[in-house]
Amino acid sequence: MELDLRGLYCPVPVFRAREEISNVGIGEELVIIADDPAADEDLRRWAKRAGHEVISSQREGSELMIRIRRMR
Amino acid sequence: MMSNRKKMLYVQTSGIEAPERLYAPFILAMTAKAMDMDAAVYFLIRGITVIKKGEAAKIKIGSFPSLKDVMDQAVEAGVELYACAQSCELMNMPKGDLEGRVKVAGAATLNDLVVDSDGVMYF
Repeated sequence: MELDLRGLYCPVPVFRAREEISNVGIGEELVIIADDPAADEDLRRWAKRAGHEVISSQREGSELMIRIRRMR
Repeated sequence: MMSNRKKMLYVQTSGIEAPERLYAPFILAMTAKAMDMDAAVYFLIRGITVIKKGEAAKIKIGSFPSLKDVMDQAVEAGVELYACAQSCELMNMPKGDLEGRVKVAGAATLNDLVVDSDGVMYF
């Protein structure tokens, strides 16, 4: 599942990721696209604290693509 | 990966208009590193002006080195610097106007750092 968070800024990306992760199955991935400069650090820390796994995080220009696996 | 190292966090909310409040977080953070602790400084609200490119170089009090020198020494010692992205907006600071070795972060990061640290000090 893909979640486009471009144009949304801190703390909204974390709120949206939290909502959306419940719509993917356990073991499945949520792919997030964001351009909030805080998103990489914030989403990684949210995922870790929420018990999910960050599979990868790539930046291209101002855009971030972060892949998170729902673990619970 | 669990680490037994203690962690210190210094939150800088004062800006360049209060130069006497700006040295301590860097000095304390460097000292923490020398004491085998991890240390980070998080710049928030007016604190963000401290890491605006070029500003720290202009600050020098009495016989102290310039704030930029102290900041560079802290980074060299392994102190991590974080900038609040929304504070940059608040202070009308364009993206890319920050000192080089600063990580841009937000509310989740600051909360995480605070609960994860063994000691937190606010300036």
